[in-house]
Amino acid sequence: MLNLDRRWIFLAIGVVSIIPFLVGIGMPISTTAEVESIFDYVNGLDKNDAIFISFDYAPGTQAENTPMGVAVMRHAFYNDVPVFITSYFPLGHGMAIEGLNYVTNPAVPGFYQRVSFEEWAVFREAGITDKDELVIAWENDGNVLPEGAMGWVFEGRDFAMLGYAPLFHLVILGMTASIEAQYPQDIYENQLYEMPMLREHKSLREISLALTTAGSSACRSWIVYGREKVGLPVAFGVTAVMATDYFPYIQSGQIIGQMGGLRGAAEYEVLLAENGITASTDKAFRGMDVQSAAHMLIILLIIMGNIAFFAGGFHKKTAMKGRG
Amino acid sequence: MRKNWIVVPALMILLLLLPALSVAQSDDEILTPVDDSLSTVTEPQPVAEEQLVEPDPGLDVPGAVTVMDKENDAGDLLLVSFEQPLYTDGIFAYNIYRRVAGEETWNLVEVIPADEPPEFIDGYDPEFPISPGVLYEYRIASATVDEEEFFGSVFEAEVVSVGEIYHTGKTRVLIAGGLFIFLIFYYFGKAQRGAKMYLRPIAGIEAIDEAIGRATEMGKPVLYVPGLSTISDVATIASLTILGRVAKKIAQYQTPLMVPNRDPIVYTIADEVVKQAYMEAGRPDAYDPDSVFFLTTSQFAFVAGVNGIMMREKPATNFYLGMFWAESLLLAETGSLSGAIQIAGTDAVTQLPFFITTCDYTLIGEELYAASAYLGREPKQIGAVKGQDSCKAIIMSFITLALLLAIIDLVAGTHTLDWVRQVITMPIVD
Amino acid sequence: MIVMVGGILMMVQYFIPHQYSQAVFNSYTEWAPIVGAFALILGVGSLTRVHSHKIRRKAKNWQYSWAVLLPLFGMPVFALLLPQSLAGGMEEPSIFHFLFMHIQVPIQSTMFSLLAFYIASAAFRAFRAKSALATVLLLAAVIVMLGQVPIGEVFGRWLPETGLWILRYPNLAAKRAIMLGVGFGILATNLKIIFGVERNWLGGAGK
Repeated sequence: MLNLDRRWIFLAIGVVSIIPFLVGIGMPISTTAEVESIFDYVNGLDKNDAIFISFDYAPGTQAENTPMGVAVMRHAFYNDVPVFITSYFPLGHGMAIEGLNYVTNPAVPGFYQRVSFEEWAVFREAGITDKDELVIAWENDGNVLPEGAMGWVFEGRDFAMLGYAPLFHLVILGMTASIEAQYPQDIYENQLYEMPMLREHKSLREISLALTTAGSSACRSWIVYGREKVGLPVAFGVTAVMATDYFPYIQSGQIIGQMGGLRGAAEYEVLLAENGITASTDKAFRGMDVQSAAHMLIILLIIMGNIAFFAGGFHKKTAMKGRG
Repeated sequence: MRKNWIVVPALMILLLLLPALSVAQSDDEILTPVDDSLSTVTEPQPVAEEQLVEPDPGLDVPGAVTVMDKENDAGDLLLVSFEQPLYTDGIFAYNIYRRVAGEETWNLVEVIPADEPPEFIDGYDPEFPISPGVLYEYRIASATVDEEEFFGSVFEAEVVSVGEIYHTGKTRVLIAGGLFIFLIFYYFGKAQRGAKMYLRPIAGIEAIDEAIGRATEMGKPVLYVPGLSTISDVATIASLTILGRVAKKIAQYQTPLMVPNRDPIVYTIADEVVKQAYMEAGRPDAYDPDSVFFLTTSQFAFVAGVNGIMMREKPATNFYLGMFWAESLLLAETGSLSGAIQIAGTDAVTQLPFFITTCDYTLIGEELYAASAYLGREPKQIGAVKGQDSCKAIIMSFITLALLLAIIDLVAGTHTLDWVRQVITMPIVD
Repeated sequence: MIVMVGGILMMVQYFIPHQYSQAVFNSYTEWAPIVGAFALILGVGSLTRVHSHKIRRKAKNWQYSWAVLLPLFGMPVFALLLPQSLAGGMEEPSIFHFLFMHIQVPIQSTMFSLLAFYIASAAFRAFRAKSALATVLLLAAVIVMLGQVPIGEVFGRWLPETGLWILRYPNLAAKRAIMLGVGFGILATNLKIIFGVERNWLGGAGK
C-alpha cells in the first residue's frame, strides 16, 4: 500500500471535490469569535463612516478570498457604508473589479443596482450628496429599483474603485495623509475630489475599517503603515494556510478580527443570512461541503498510510536520512 | 563564564529603568483641556473688527480659542481648543474656520459635534494643511441643525507650528533598538577579538556539501530557487548570500547550476552573485550567463516554469531558500517526484510544514539567516548570530517576568502586569 | 557606502519628525516606484533574451518560447495601444479583459488547486506517527482539520472548540516565538548589510 500510485490519490481527491459540489449537502456551520467581531464591527457602522476593502490577492486564491471581500462589501452596502476598493497587486486589480461586478450583477440574487458616476452627476451638482436624500431624489426622477435588487449603490457615494497602485505599502503610507494624493482619480478616470465619499473621508485617519483580503503577507502592510501609524482599525481575510500565522495579531488587539480561509468567508455569509442582510448564503458556504469531504479523505489517507507503515514494519527500521 | 551571565541581568535592569524615562513623556495623542491660567496670554483679544451677529436667545457662541503647537510633528499640526458657550441648547455642531493671519479667505477646517470635547488637532485635513512657521487665525461658529451659523470672535493663534528634531514618543523604540543593536555589535567585536563561540550544528546546512557532491556524481544540475519575494525581503538577501557560497562550491565541482528568478531586481543581483562566485573559485570561463534567468513575476506561472524545469532537466539537488508562499508544496512535491535531494529554508512559517514533510532538510525561520554564518564561519557573522541569541534571551526574560506577574496578579488581585505593559508598550505615535 | 549612508539615514529619519526629515522620506517614496519600474525593464529584457535565443537556435521545446514571448508583448499592446473601437483597453469588453478573465485567472486558479492534490499525496506519503511527538502532531492536525469543517460538528461541539483552542493558544505561542526569532534575524541581517558586514548580495561590487 505504501507504493500506492499517486494518481489514485489524485483521482480520489478529484471525485470527492466534485460530488459534494454537485449534490450540495448544506451542513450547518457555527461561527467563531474571530469572524463575529468583524461582523459586529461592520454592523455598527453607518453612512457617516467609510471602509476600505483591499483585494490583496492573485487569482490563485480567489476561491477563498473573493467570497470574503464580496460578503463584507454586501454588508457595507446594506448599511450604506461607503467602500473604497483597492488592490495590493496588479492581478488583484482584476479581482477587485470582478468582486464589485459580482455584487452588482443583476443575475446574482441579492444584487445591488449600480449607478455610475456620470449618471447621477446632475444630483451631485445640485448638492444632493446625502445617501438618503439622493435615493429619494433619484427615485423621484423616475428611476425604479429593479426587481430583486437590494438597493442602489452610487459610484462616488457608496463605492469608489481605486484599484492597484505600485509599491502599495507606500501608497498606504501616503493615504494616512491624503487618499486623493495617492489616487487622484479612480480606474474609470473619475476625479476623486468630486466624490462626496472622499470629501467626507480624506485620509485613512477618517476611515473606520480596512479589510484586507490577502493571499500573501501583503496584509501586514496595513498593520505597519495603517494601524500602527494612525490607529486605523484593520481586519484580515486570509487563506486558511495563513490564518494560523495571524492569531498573535488578534490576541494583541492589532486586528479586530480575522476570516480564515473558506470557512471564515462561509461564517460571514452565515452571519449575513442569519441577520437578514442577505436572503441566503453564497459560494463559500457551498464550498464547505467540498472541504468537509476533502478533509475526511485526507484524514483517511493519513490513517491508511500509517497502517501501511506500521504493518510493513518500517517503524522498526532506522529513521530516514535527514528527517531529524 | 561568570561575566557572561552578568550581562543579561544587567541589561534587564537597564530596561526596567525605562519607566523613569517614560514618566517624563507626555501622551501626545490625547488632548487635555487647556488651563487658561497657565497660558501666557491671559486675555485673548479679538484681532479684527467683525460685524457680530446678535445671537439668538439660547444659541450662544463659543468663547476664547487656545492654540498650542503639537509636539512630535513636522510643523504641520496645531492643538486647538475653545471655550464652549454657556448655553448649548440648539447647537448641533461647532464649525471651525481658519485663515492665514492677514489674508481674507476663511476655510472651514473642522466640524465638531456639540456633544464631543471642544478640542481637535488641526492639520490632518490634506485640503487645508498647516505650514510650519505660519501664523493662523481662528473663528468658531455655533451651527444649528439647519446649518445656520452664529460666529464668535476672531482669535489669533498664540503660537506657530514648529517641527521637532526628536520624536519623544519613540524613545522606547530608540532604547530597545539601541540596546539590541549594541548587543549585536558587542558580539561582533567579541568574535573578532578571537572569542570562541559555539553554534549548534544544523543538519540542513551541513548537508549542502553532500547535496552538491551528489549532483556532481550524478552529472545532473543543481536547481537553486532564491524565493519568490523582492530584494527588500530579508529572506531573499539571506538566500542570495547562501547562493554565493553554494555557487562557489558548484564552480569548484563544475556542476551545472540553474537559478530561476521571479523578481527582476533579484535576478540581476543573483546573476552578479553567481558570476562573482565563479571568479572567486578561479573558474570565470565556466560561468554560464543563462544559468541565472528571469522567468516571470506571476507566482503560479513561476511555479509552473520551475516544475517544468524539474521534470525536464531532472536536477539531482534542489535548494529552496528564501521567501515562499502557497507554491511551496507544488515546488517541493514535484521535486520529490523527480527524485532530487531537497534542502529548503524559509522564514514563512506557514510554508514550513510543507517543506518539512517533503524535503530532506529544512532550515526553520532564523536558521536561514544564520546559514550565512555557518557556511562562512567568519567571526562577524557568528557574532551576529550570538547577538541575536542574546536579544532573544532578553525577550524570554521579559516573557517569564510577565508570566510571573500575571500569576501574582491572579492570586493577589494586583495590576502589576498592566503597569509593566503601560511602561513598555508604545502607543500609536502619529 | 550608498547602502550604509542610506540605511543609517533612514534609521535616523524615523526618529526625526521635522519637516526637512519628512521631505527626505517623501523624496524616497517618490523615487522608489520609479526605480522599481526600471527594474521591470531588466526582467523583461532577460526573459526576451533567453527565449529569443532558444527560438534562434531551435533549442529543445523552442516552440514554447513563442508561447512566452507572444503574450508578454501582446497583452500590453491590447491594453495600451489598441484603440477601444478595436476592442482595446483594459475594461470589459476588451481583448485584454477576455484574455485575463478567461485564460489567466482560470490558469492561476488551476495551479493553486493543484495544492489540494499534492497535499493529499504528501499526507499519505509523509505524515507518519514515527515518534511520540509526531503522534501528538498528527492528532492535533486531525482535530484542527475536522474542527474547521462542518462535518466535524457532527462528532460533537468539542471537536471544533478543541481545534480553536489549539489555534488560539499553543499555535499562537509557537508562531509568536518564531516571529520573534525571525524579527531578530531580520534586524541582524539588516545591520550586517547596512554596515557592510554582509556583502555577498552585492556580487562583484562587494569586493
